[in-house]
Amino acid sequence: MCHSVRIGRLAAVTLAAGLALAGCAKDQVRYGDARGVETVTNQFGSTDLQMIAESMTRSLLQAPVVVSSNLPIVTVQEVKNKTSEYIDTRAITDSIRAELQKSGKVRFAVDAAAMEQQVEELERQQSELYDKDKAVETGRMVGAQYRLEGNITSIVKQAKDVKDVYYKFNLQMWNVRNGLLEWSDEQEIRKTTSKG
Amino acid sequence: MRIRALVVLAAVCALLAGCGTKKGFEKKGFAYGCPIGETKVGSMEDLVESKVSREGPRTNVAVTEMRCTMSGDLLKIDANLNNDASDTRRMAYKFRWIDREGMRAAEEEAWKPILMYEKSNQLITAVAPTPRAVDFRIIFMAQD
Repeated sequence: MCHSVRIGRLAAVTLAAGLALAGCAKDQVRYGDARGVETVTNQFGSTDLQMIAESMTRSLLQAPVVVSSNLPIVTVQEVKNKTSEYIDTRAITDSIRAELQKSGKVRFAVDAAAMEQQVEELERQQSELYDKDKAVETGRMVGAQYRLEGNITSIVKQAKDVKDVYYKFNLQMWNVRNGLLEWSDEQEIRKTTSKG
Repeated sequence: MRIRALVVLAAVCALLAGCGTKKGFEKKGFAYGCPIGETKVGSMEDLVESKVSREGPRTNVAVTEMRCTMSGDLLKIDANLNNDASDTRRMAYKFRWIDREGMRAAEEEAWKPILMYEKSNQLITAVAPTPRAVDFRIIFMAQD
């Protein structure tokens, strides 16, 4: 009887100590370097996105069509994700667009994704709620001379203890008027994870 | 006799001037095509020392040669990296762009990881993100 009470008491104390320790083990939150090399997994990550955006932008800035034109007007179309994983390709094109815009060498026309909001705003300003003199006129939008499109593909290979991922990002700039390919470039990335 | 000496002297001067141009000191404030401002640069080692800095963990990978040119109105840099060690090294680099006033000309770049095989060279190329960037620094960090 005394022995079983002792065991029960010990179990209760152990449980209480366990719970107390679990309560004490707080998650540690720290800020990191948003532009640091990220190697948490070998899936597409922030470093890949930043490297692709940077290399594509710098290459495009040297394209003859950008160097010789006076602020060419470009629209961004879709970058197709042909990999087996989920990649927000819009985040890549947004970064490329932001970098190009900051360079001051390219102008961007509203793209297909933002067209609905653009038209909505134009139509809204035509309503009686707006001062006619200050509302924007319709029929003044500027069409893009060039369109950017691309794709990202991957080859994944896995053996017992090794996983190898190869990404290839391709971006092209097409002349809207004559359908000519004015510029194209690629960025390759290889990531390998090995256990142990 | 005196005329002959003058001719020889002129020839030697012309030869020396030719060698000077070959070295890359072709424009005031530039060395090997790279902007150096008032910094005294007499050799490739001086240029590398003035342009390369290291942050965080140190790497033994070194820049052995550097050349700059203009691509349109954008500064373009080629730098040769050398891993003298007898094992593969991983490191990251980024360029920092500086404007005419010595301020940052663009947002900080992302660190770019690079793998260097043992006893190997690799060429890295960078183009300034904006014409405002007239100077630069290359920054290295070990990733081993």
